[in-house]
Amino acid sequence: MAKRRIPGAACVLGTLLLLPAIAFAHAHLLSSTPAANATVHGPEVAFELHYNSRVDGRHSVLTLVMSDGRTEPLGLDKQSSEANLNAHVKLKPGSYTLRWQALSTDGHITRGEIPFSVR
Amino acid sequence: MIWFVRDFDLLSLLLRALSFALEALAFGSVFFLLIAARPAGLSGDAQARLGRVGAWFALALAVTQVVLIGTTSAMLTGSSGMGMRDLFSAAYFISGTIFAVAAVVLALVLRWTKRLGPALGVVFIALGASVSLSHAASRMNHRPLLLILTAGHHLGMAGWLGALAFLVMGLRLTGDAEVARRMARRFSTMAVVSVAVLVLAGVGLSWFYAGSWQALYETSYGILLSAKIVLTALILTLASGNFLLIRRVKANPAPLLFRLRRFSEAELGLGLTVILAAASLTAQSPSVDETPDDILSGHQVVERMEWRWPSFHTPAFSQLAPPTPLRVAVREATYTGGSASDAQDRAWSEYNHHWAGLVVLAAGLLALISRLPGQRWARHWPLLFLGLTVFILVRADPECWPLGPRPFWASFTAPDVLEHRLFAALIAVFAVFEWGVQMGWLRWPRARFVFPLLCAAGGALLLTHTHALGEGTDEVFAELSHTPMALLGATAGWGRWLELRFDTSGAPAGESRFRRIAAWVWPVCLILIGVLLLDYRES
Repeated sequence: MAKRRIPGAACVLGTLLLLPAIAFAHAHLLSSTPAANATVHGPEVAFELHYNSRVDGRHSVLTLVMSDGRTEPLGLDKQSSEANLNAHVKLKPGSYTLRWQALSTDGHITRGEIPFSVR
Repeated sequence: MIWFVRDFDLLSLLLRALSFALEALAFGSVFFLLIAARPAGLSGDAQARLGRVGAWFALALAVTQVVLIGTTSAMLTGSSGMGMRDLFSAAYFISGTIFAVAAVVLALVLRWTKRLGPALGVVFIALGASVSLSHAASRMNHRPLLLILTAGHHLGMAGWLGALAFLVMGLRLTGDAEVARRMARRFSTMAVVSVAVLVLAGVGLSWFYAGSWQALYETSYGILLSAKIVLTALILTLASGNFLLIRRVKANPAPLLFRLRRFSEAELGLGLTVILAAASLTAQSPSVDETPDDILSGHQVVERMEWRWPSFHTPAFSQLAPPTPLRVAVREATYTGGSASDAQDRAWSEYNHHWAGLVVLAAGLLALISRLPGQRWARHWPLLFLGLTVFILVRADPECWPLGPRPFWASFTAPDVLEHRLFAALIAVFAVFEWGVQMGWLRWPRARFVFPLLCAAGGALLLTHTHALGEGTDEVFAELSHTPMALLGATAGWGRWLELRFDTSGAPAGESRFRRIAAWVWPVCLILIGVLLLDYRES
């Protein structure tokens, strides 16, 4: 069910904080390969996630979620740029979701996911 | 752990806000002692007391940094399997540790020595660590310039608002009007320079991060930045009044110093609100990085702000999307920000906001009416908020008890629900306190300040919220609606504060004019908030 926000009056009276708070944003994903909902050719799949700011390639995390819900952490490759996260993996045809957790150099953590298919 | 992951973002944001505020206060103590208090001849005892307060702020800053490092590390180790040893090389860990150690050293220097030179040196080391944890450090372009501008912004904040807190304390500690006058004058000069540095650095940063005038109302970052600019302008209005006041102090110090203290308190409170807005900006993507999907057009902004009559029709509970299991909902929200609202969800939420608007509007009007002769009955207006508390508990989370299938206690594991209930409880607390104050049966003097402080804090905290509402522009629409309410909330809180602070037995004659103005400001703010809520819509 979607989140529902609370009457904003509370907001005003020291209690306006009722809205769900997620500070998504700092390392903002600008583009990715594969793109969200894209179909790519397997079995070799290379991932490149491009952010708006420098990300810590040693302490960020990429996780692959299989169609049956199993998860597999991916080892990160050498960054092609300070603003990119890179990885590669061999995949069978099917639907997958790439979950990412990026640590920007200023200490902010951001997360997101990219669903894609392998043909 | 999943609960922690889900709530980590809010925790991190609040800790950063606290860190900004404590940094300004700790650095401000050194600047005030060095530039204002010591040259003005403030007594040794008073200086030592101010140093001790500064030391406590520095120590609290160190603790905040340690907690921030701890939560970030726990987050990383818990969600990725990294060991603590892996984290020692992370930039946030190194910078955060240097920052915390520098803050401890600053606390020790302020507490145990009278020498301010070493304290100033430590301030600059801590500043370097702080700036390395800012937006600027992670930018790909113009990084050195952005780091310098950020450092200037932090220094300006400390030299103005951080030091202002010590001026307020210093004025209380000295009984010598001449020392007070000299101290206030020296502070005033320092504050003018600090404001200039703060504003120039802020303009430079805005140039790089916002990128255009339109971004100020078309993106979340820009809207928050606009709120920060409006609040800063409001504080500067108070500050300029103080500036002129200080130059008249020679003639008749007592009433002018009284007024200076009162306005400085409000200036400081609003300043802390700006710091919260600044912390919120650190969690937003700069406007220049936003994709077209996250940007509103001018036409959309105008259309959303147009007045439409509120709807008091709610969809039936059975028409809402069925709730997913709690654990699934929390996990989904971790990576995607939750599912997007459908039309029924939005109608449900708008109905909630419109009723809340009616309550706040009625409260504001009654607060005004209660000032008229023979209208004592209207002083019961805080009771309206008790009704709102029940309304929130029932309607805010329809997937939870009493409307939904999730049990009352189990639903507390969802941070959103926890927040809603905590704040419903807070509304109830302030409503009872303010009711007692209005009706005169609550005699505890400090009870009067519960309402203004909660009101101001609520406005400030609303600025720290970003909203993940599924669709990109939905978040910007939410900011458009809530940011003006946050500004009005903060203004209402400090308006009421000023009314109460000017209404004391120690107030010199002639101050009632300021009390009367302040007494009008906050009910009008409540009325405007009510109107904004009545015009609230999500579609």
